[in-house]
Amino acid sequence: MFQVLIDTNYDFMGTRRIALTISAVLVVAAIVVLFAHGLNLGIEFTGGTEIQLKFPHSPDVAGIRSALGRAGLENSEVTRIGNPTDNEVYIRVGRGAGDEGENEKARDIAVKGVLDTLRPEEFKDLEAVGVIDLNTKSQSDIAAKLLGVPGLTEAQAGELASNILERRREIALFTSLDELADIPGMTPDALAFLRKQATVGPFALRSQSYIGPAIGSELLEKATWAILGSLAGMLVYIWIRFQFQWGLAAVIALAHDSVITLGLFALFGKEMSLPVVAAFLTLIGYSVNDTVVIFDRIREILRTKSTMSLTEVVNLAINRTLSRTIITSGLTWLVVVAVYLFGGETLNPFAFVLVVGIVVGSYSTIYIASPILVFWQSLSKRRAASSGSTGQAARRSAKKVPSAR
Amino acid sequence: MATWWKPAVILAVIGLAVFFVIPPEERIHLGLDLRGGTHIVLQVDTDSAVEYELNLTQTRLGQALTDRRISYASIVPIDPTVMEIRGADPGRAAEVREILDLQIGNWAIRDLGSGNWRIVMPPEVRQYIANAAVTTTLNTVRNRVDQLGVREPIVQKQGLLGDRILIQLPGVEDPERAVDVMIDQGLLEWKAVTYPPGVTDFSRWSPPTSREGVLAMFGGAIPDDTDLYPEQVNAEDGSVITLWWPLKRVSVVIGNDLRNAFRSEDQFGQPQVSFELTKDAGNRFEAATQENLGRRMAIVLTARNLKSVVSAPTIEDVIRDQGRIHGGFTLERAEDLALQLRSGAIPAKVEILEERTVGPSLGQDSIRAGVSAAVLGFLAVMGFMAIYYRLSGLNAVVALGLNVLLLLGAMGYFAATLTLPGIAGLILTVGMAVDSNVLIFERIREELRLGKTVRSAVDQGFGRAFGTILDCNVTTLVAAFFLFSYGTGPVKGFAVTLTIGLLASIFTAVFVSRQMFELVLGRGRRVESLSI
Repeated sequence: MFQVLIDTNYDFMGTRRIALTISAVLVVAAIVVLFAHGLNLGIEFTGGTEIQLKFPHSPDVAGIRSALGRAGLENSEVTRIGNPTDNEVYIRVGRGAGDEGENEKARDIAVKGVLDTLRPEEFKDLEAVGVIDLNTKSQSDIAAKLLGVPGLTEAQAGELASNILERRREIALFTSLDELADIPGMTPDALAFLRKQATVGPFALRSQSYIGPAIGSELLEKATWAILGSLAGMLVYIWIRFQFQWGLAAVIALAHDSVITLGLFALFGKEMSLPVVAAFLTLIGYSVNDTVVIFDRIREILRTKSTMSLTEVVNLAINRTLSRTIITSGLTWLVVVAVYLFGGETLNPFAFVLVVGIVVGSYSTIYIASPILVFWQSLSKRRAASSGSTGQAARRSAKKVPSAR
Repeated sequence: MATWWKPAVILAVIGLAVFFVIPPEERIHLGLDLRGGTHIVLQVDTDSAVEYELNLTQTRLGQALTDRRISYASIVPIDPTVMEIRGADPGRAAEVREILDLQIGNWAIRDLGSGNWRIVMPPEVRQYIANAAVTTTLNTVRNRVDQLGVREPIVQKQGLLGDRILIQLPGVEDPERAVDVMIDQGLLEWKAVTYPPGVTDFSRWSPPTSREGVLAMFGGAIPDDTDLYPEQVNAEDGSVITLWWPLKRVSVVIGNDLRNAFRSEDQFGQPQVSFELTKDAGNRFEAATQENLGRRMAIVLTARNLKSVVSAPTIEDVIRDQGRIHGGFTLERAEDLALQLRSGAIPAKVEILEERTVGPSLGQDSIRAGVSAAVLGFLAVMGFMAIYYRLSGLNAVVALGLNVLLLLGAMGYFAATLTLPGIAGLILTVGMAVDSNVLIFERIREELRLGKTVRSAVDQGFGRAFGTILDCNVTTLVAAFFLFSYGTGPVKGFAVTLTIGLLASIFTAVFVSRQMFELVLGRGRRVESLSI
């Protein structure tokens, strides 16, 4: 057998005080970071507009910023994203700005304003006389335009528009009308027509989002409730399967994971979005697995080995499941690292939560959830003072007894 | 042991999954974030629908009174649910009552005496109007989307109160025009002009450029039956000025009276909108144009929540059921306006809550990135399993592959949508599903170390691990449930893939993997060692 960590006998409970201290420090640090740094909330939560543009060559960020400033959009945030060779720019307008009445106006100003500002005057003049921008127009608009080509049937025009779009999908934006020549279905007439009636704009719109302020606060509220709800769900499930106190221990560990991960998330200035909330919910659902596996084992050992103290039982359970904990967490971790590294800009913050959270989660299973069990047991032992042996008290609290009384 | 049915079940499930997954490009629907397109959420303002309905009712009552030649001074809205008819011929109160009963029998109607009537919209009517407004808006938007020629659009109600509308327009990258066309109320009204006292040249009179100017012409207060409506016109110097038209509140013809509308050209080749009226409206229009010969009538359009005058032509002929609107339109604007008039008006204010557009090139890049991350993730997991658990690891690899197949099959069956977070969910599912295999294998190894036979180690491994696997999956499903109830769009897609993947993983890791062990261990063969 090729194996690691077999028959380990680490004294996890022996070092629990150090671990708990480290955890406490980390949690406090995370909370401090959250308050000091604040969360970088995405437009889904604040409302606003964001636009992602791709340029043919290195974009002039300062120029874009000052152009937007001149157009009255001085509170815009302009950053480059992705690889430097992607030549992509992210623009965010109106962080939390605009009350509800101004909603629609804010949207109009932001979206149209940004695009208008960045489009040189000569393009606007061209557009005014019906010349279309092949880098931003939709397929239906291009198809409609192509109907003007002599000798092109409606079906052929549609086909050609679809092929032009297909090409644009591959290369993201045209830099010159010459690139149209080898598109399937292009006829000399159509090319000549497009040379007169079409142009290639200075950028392509990669994505554009507008979120009204009303929906933003609603989503933030919903996100909070979903996270609290899933924590409560975990508590109830473990309560049913084990005991209330075990459920509480697991939930404390989960809250610990979430807070530390959130702190790191804030520290790295990653943007909070809907998929990130999804990642936190997933983390909660995943992180509890480790805890459940160890709890299962603790219960199993308590049933069979009546002479051991709870501390020993917990230690044994953790050691027995250690290789499983490391292998599964490690494998899932590998997977999320792959997403973090290769999954692209959108999934990056999502993957970040899981990359950090899985590590913290595995640690907390061993050093938070299990020690709390031991702590509670010793507490109830002290309270019950003289009532019977320690082993029995442990077993009473461990076995699934519907009611203590 | 009659275990023949187990492999049969597995083969049947595989067959079904393959059936629902092939061909993938048809079976697996890509979300807008992957294929490109526009996603819009609209909020229907139901309060404004009530106002709108009151406006319509006002016109309907006015028209009914006029049709019966009952004279009245004005119909005035008091608040959003109350209006008053003033100065109706007191001698014909019975007829007025009859009209009111016929038109709005379920409203509270009170005769205030001397030809004044107070009409109150009861709460249940209000509720009905609010609900109907959402449905009408939904249908109208759907109608307009269809006419815009978008392929495979989705238009449906959303939200707890059901007063939101979700619109998905695949392939629409330049949503501005689509949005403008979709959400404009597009209500058209023809209104007679209330000329100020002293005006004699009716056909050439033009209103002042300020409200105060109009008020002054009427000697301080405009008549009860009249309201002011703005018209934007280009002045000679190129600047835009606003004219304030005093127009009768009760419209002669209103949007619902249109039978058809289309773009046409006037004699100078300028774009205009032609329309046809229904029979009733045609009769009314005929009477009104007869009455207003040589005077101007205003065409008022409600667009972007604003009522404004499009144009105010002088009536030169009696018009029956066909008419034209000039308004210095561009070709596109004329086309859009005709489309809106044709598809019916939206009876409420509509606000954009959310609008997202993903260009197809970004979608393409997302697919590429998502797929490469997925493939790398799979390879890492499978490579590790095969090396670490050897032949049993291969067993897990088969189970995981099957897991992905089942997940895709289920998505095909439910016509679920694969989004970018959904791809992440798919990858993550593999990471989580492998947990079940690891739990079982570690347990088997443990039992083997305790000196048990292969047979009993495998039995115990699966048996003991099962409860734990169930617990683990239930907890994750609880989280997925909250994810689903919280999420919209892409996040929901993530919750769906995660849930299906976990359910599939219980089947593959516990049932299928077990059967593969049985292939080796079954039939009473004595197996001395296990490659694990």
